Amino acid sequence: MIDRMQEFFQRLLSMFRHDELDRELDAEMAEHLALAIDENQERGLSPEEARREALIQLGGRTQARERHREARGLQVIDTFLQDLRYGLRGLVKNPGFTAAAVLTLALGIAVNASMFSMVSGFLLRRPPGREPERVLAITSINPAGGLFLADVALVSPPNYLVWRSTTDVFESMAAADENRTANLTWHGQTQAVPAAAVSADYFAVLGVTPELGRAFYKEEEQAGRDHVIILSHDLWDRDFGSDPSVVGRTVRINREDCAVIGIMPANFRMMGFTPQLWTPLVFSATDITPAARKYRSLNVFARLKPAATLEQARTELKMMGRRAEEDFPDAEKGWGVAARTLPDFLVYSFGIRNPLIVIMTVVGFVLLIACANVAGLLLARAGTRRKELAIRMSLGASRRRIIRQLLTEGLMIALLGGGGGLLLAYWGIKFLAAGMQFNEAVSAVPLTLDTNVLLFSLAVSLLSAILCSLAPAVSASRANVNSNLQSASRGATSGRSHSRFRRVLVTGEIAAALFLLTGCGLLLRAVYMIEHQMMGFRVERLLTAGLTLDTAHYKRPEQQAVFTQELIRAVQKIPGAESVAATSDLPASGFNRTTFQIKGERESRASQRPSVLDFLVTADFFRTAEVPLLHGRSFAESDNDSAPRVVVVNQEFAHRYFKDQDPLGKQIQLEVSGLTPVWSEIVGVVGNVKTYSEDTRYDPAVYEAYVQRPLPYFSLMIRTSADPNSLIPELRKAVAQTDVELPLARVMSMSTVIDLQKGGDVLFAQMLAAFAVLALTLAAIGIYGLISYSVGQRTHEIAIRMALGAQARAVRRMVLREGFKMAAIGTTIGLALALPLPRVFTAMFNDLPAGDPRAYVIVLVVTVAVAVLATYIPARRASRIDPISALHSE
Amino acid sequence: MAESKLDLLQGTLDLMVLQTLAAMGTLHGYGIARRIEQVSQDMVLLNQGTIYASLVRLQHRGWISAAWGTSANNRKAKFYSITKKGRKRLAEDAAYWERLAGVMGRVLSMEGEGE
Repeated sequence: MIDRMQEFFQRLLSMFRHDELDRELDAEMAEHLALAIDENQERGLSPEEARREALIQLGGRTQARERHREARGLQVIDTFLQDLRYGLRGLVKNPGFTAAAVLTLALGIAVNASMFSMVSGFLLRRPPGREPERVLAITSINPAGGLFLADVALVSPPNYLVWRSTTDVFESMAAADENRTANLTWHGQTQAVPAAAVSADYFAVLGVTPELGRAFYKEEEQAGRDHVIILSHDLWDRDFGSDPSVVGRTVRINREDCAVIGIMPANFRMMGFTPQLWTPLVFSATDITPAARKYRSLNVFARLKPAATLEQARTELKMMGRRAEEDFPDAEKGWGVAARTLPDFLVYSFGIRNPLIVIMTVVGFVLLIACANVAGLLLARAGTRRKELAIRMSLGASRRRIIRQLLTEGLMIALLGGGGGLLLAYWGIKFLAAGMQFNEAVSAVPLTLDTNVLLFSLAVSLLSAILCSLAPAVSASRANVNSNLQSASRGATSGRSHSRFRRVLVTGEIAAALFLLTGCGLLLRAVYMIEHQMMGFRVERLLTAGLTLDTAHYKRPEQQAVFTQELIRAVQKIPGAESVAATSDLPASGFNRTTFQIKGERESRASQRPSVLDFLVTADFFRTAEVPLLHGRSFAESDNDSAPRVVVVNQEFAHRYFKDQDPLGKQIQLEVSGLTPVWSEIVGVVGNVKTYSEDTRYDPAVYEAYVQRPLPYFSLMIRTSADPNSLIPELRKAVAQTDVELPLARVMSMSTVIDLQKGGDVLFAQMLAAFAVLALTLAAIGIYGLISYSVGQRTHEIAIRMALGAQARAVRRMVLREGFKMAAIGTTIGLALALPLPRVFTAMFNDLPAGDPRAYVIVLVVTVAVAVLATYIPARRASRIDPISALHSE
Repeated sequence: MAESKLDLLQGTLDLMVLQTLAAMGTLHGYGIARRIEQVSQDMVLLNQGTIYASLVRLQHRGWISAAWGTSANNRKAKFYSITKKGRKRLAEDAAYWERLAGVMGRVLSMEGEGE
C-alpha cells in the first residue's frame, strides 16, 4: 500500500520533469547502444554489422520511449492534458460557438450560484457556540395551530421550571424571553432597544462566552440583584464606540441603573433572534402559579448530557407534556412538547426553507434548459465534425477515447461557463443582499460568495458538463466510420440517433419551460392576490409608533391609563394630526388570542372554548384606522374604568358565533391570564380587518376598551392628511414633553409596516418572474437553434424535394409539423408535471390563495406560441431554399 | 511462434531485474539486459528497450536506486543497484514464484486416471 502510494507520488513528480527524464532516457539508451555495438564488434562483426545487430536488439526507440513514459507517468492525466490542448484549440477556432455555449451556461450557473448564496447563508450556516447540534430547542405544540408554525410555540414559565428540575437527559437547561424592549439611556439619550431576558446559564447552554467581561451569575436571577446587562457587539460598537471600559460602567435601563458586565462577541448571532442586549430573567411569584401556564413567553434551550440522544430527550419531554395535560387540563389540554436540535430549530422556525426549495427548483430548471441549449449546440458541432472524428477513429482512436475527448471539451465549456457564472453571481449576490433587507432578522444574515457557493458552482459546472456533453458525445462516437467518411462530404441528412436526440431535447425544453412557467405563474398570482386584497382599514396616511411603559414609573394600570390619555391628548395637538388612537396591536400586523364564552350558552370545558383575536383600543381607534362601524356604537369617553365593561366585535365574530344575528346587548366573557374574568356587553359590530397582512384570513376579533384594561405596551396610530413621515419630529417632541425618558420604537408609516411584513414576498415574486422570463427566453433560443440546425442539415434533402416538384408550402408544413408534434408532446408532459403543483404549494406555504386555473391556460398559450414562432422562422427559411444553388454548393 | 523465445508474463521482468541486481551488485541497463539474456540462454524475448520501463517502475517503488557514473569504456552511464526494500521484496516474490512453479509442475505432471 505504501509502495503504491510512493509510486503514485513519484509518477506525479515525473510529470513535471517530463523533458528532463526523456533526455536522461535518451542518454541511457545511447550508452546502451554503444555498449552493444562494442560487444558485437568484439565478436568480430564489422562496424556496420555490429550497429545493425545492436539496433535490432534494442528494438524501436520510440516505442521504448513511449513505454518508459507510460511506466513513469500518469496515463490519465497525460491523456487529459492532450484532450485539453486539443479541445482548447477547437474552442478558439470557433469563437461564435464557444461564446454562445459559455454565455448560456454562465447565465444558468450564475442564477444558481446567486440563489445558492441564500441556501448557504440561511440553511447551511452553523449557529454560534460549541457543538450546536447537542443543544436542543424545546417548544410547545399549539393544538389550535398558529399563524405560522404550530409546533414551535413558546413555553410557559411553569413548564420550563418543571422540565428543568425533573428531566434527566440534559446537562443544563435555560430559558429566554426574546421579545422584550428595553429603554436604554446613555449620555442623556434614550432609545428603545430589542432585548432578551435570559436565565443565568443561557450562554453556557449555547456554549458561548462573552468577548469582554462575564456572563450572568445564578444569584442575579433574583429580583433586586438583577440590575446587570450584557451588550451585543453591534450595540457596543454603535452606541458605545467599542470602548472596553464600558464594562463595569452604569447605564440606565427602563429608568433603573444597571451595570454593564459583559459584551458578547460579534459572531454570537442566532438566525431570527435580534436582541441587542440581555438582562437576567427573573420569575415573579405569579409566574409560577398554574394560571401562568397560559402565559407562554419563553424560548427554552437545553444541552444534552454526553451520552443522551435526541430520541431519549423527545420521549422524556413527551411524558412531561402528558403529565402536564393530566394535571392542568384547563391550560394544557391538547398542548404537546417538541424538541429539535438548535441548527434544525433555527432554520425551521425561520420558515425560509420552503421558499428556498421553490427558488432552487426554479433555477435548477433554468440550468436544465441552459444545458439542453448547450447540448443542442454541441450536437450541431458534432454533426459538422463527423468527418474529423471518423478520421481519428480510423487512425485507431478508441470509442472511449473519443467520448472522453468530447466530454473534456464539454467540461471546458462548463468550467468557462462556471467561471463566467461566478463573475455574474458576484454581482447577483450583491444585488440579492441589497434586496434582502426587509427586516432585522433577514438583514442580519450576510449573503456572500462564500466557500459553499464556490463548491456548489463547481459541482453545478461539472454536472452541466456531463448533462450537456454526454449524450452528444456518445451519439457522435457511435457513428459508423466508413459511412461518415463517405457521407460527411455530401451533407446527407443526419443519422437517426442524432435526430432522435434532437427531438428529445426540444420536447424536454418545452416541457421544462411549461412546468416552470406554470409554477411561477401560480405563485405570482397568489402573491398578487395577497398584495391586492382588502385589508379592512385604510393603510395610507397613517403614522405608527411603538411604546413600552416601564414598571418603574408606570407600575399600576391606572398610571398607564392616565399616561396614555395624556399622550394622546398631546399628540392630537400636532398640526396635521386628524385623529389619534392607541392599540395593543396594529391592525393586520400581529395579535393576541384569548378564549371566551358567551353568557347563556352551555358551559363548555375550558380547553374547548373558542379563541378569538383580542385587541385593546382607545376610543378613536376605529375612526383613526377607518374601520367601518356596522351596527351599534363605538367606544365613548363614558366607557371608563368605573363604567360597565363593553366590547366591540367584528363581522366575522358575529357571523361565526351569532349566526349573523344581531349580537348587540349580548354578554361575553374573555379569559385573560392573570385577571378575574368579567362579563362584557357587546355594544358594536365593526368590519373585518385582515388578521395578518400576508395572510388571507379574517378571524373573529374582539375589541376591548383600553381604559378599562390598560396595558404597559401599545402602538400609537395617527391619521393625517399629510405625508405621515412629516409628523415624526413633532410626534417625538410630544412624547418627550409627556415623558422625556420614554423612547419611541418602530416609528414608521402603516404602509411601511405592511411593506416590512411582506418584503420577502415581493422579492420572491420578482425573482420568480425574472427566472420565468429567463427560462422562456433560453427555451425559445434553444428550440429555434435546434430546428434551424435541423433545417440546415436537411438543406440537401429539401432541395431535392423541391427540385422534384415539392411546393414551398408543403416544405414549410413539413418543418412546422415536426415542430408542432414536439410542442404537443412537450406541453402534454409539462402539463402533467404541473397539475399537482397547487397541492404542493398549499402544503408548503401557509394559507396560500387557491391556484388560479387561468394560469394554466395563459402559460400553455404562451409556451405554444413561443414554440411555434421558434419553429416558424426556420420553416420559412426552409421553404425559400433555392434548390439549384443548394445542390450546386455541395 | 518460434519455440526458442518466451513471452514474459506481467511482473516477471521486474523480478528478473531484482534478482540480477541482487546477484551481480551494481549494473547499468545494458548489463542487466545482457545478463538476463545470458542466464535465460537467450530463451527470453527481451526487447531491450522495455527494460527501461521496468527500471523506472522499480525505482518509483523504491526497490532499486540509480546513480550516474562512468562506464568501463569511460562513458557516462546510469548504474542501478538493489535497495534493502528491494531485497525484501525479492525474497517475497521469489518464494511466491517457487511455490507457483512447484504447483504448476505438479498440476502439469498429473496423469490421466481411468478414462
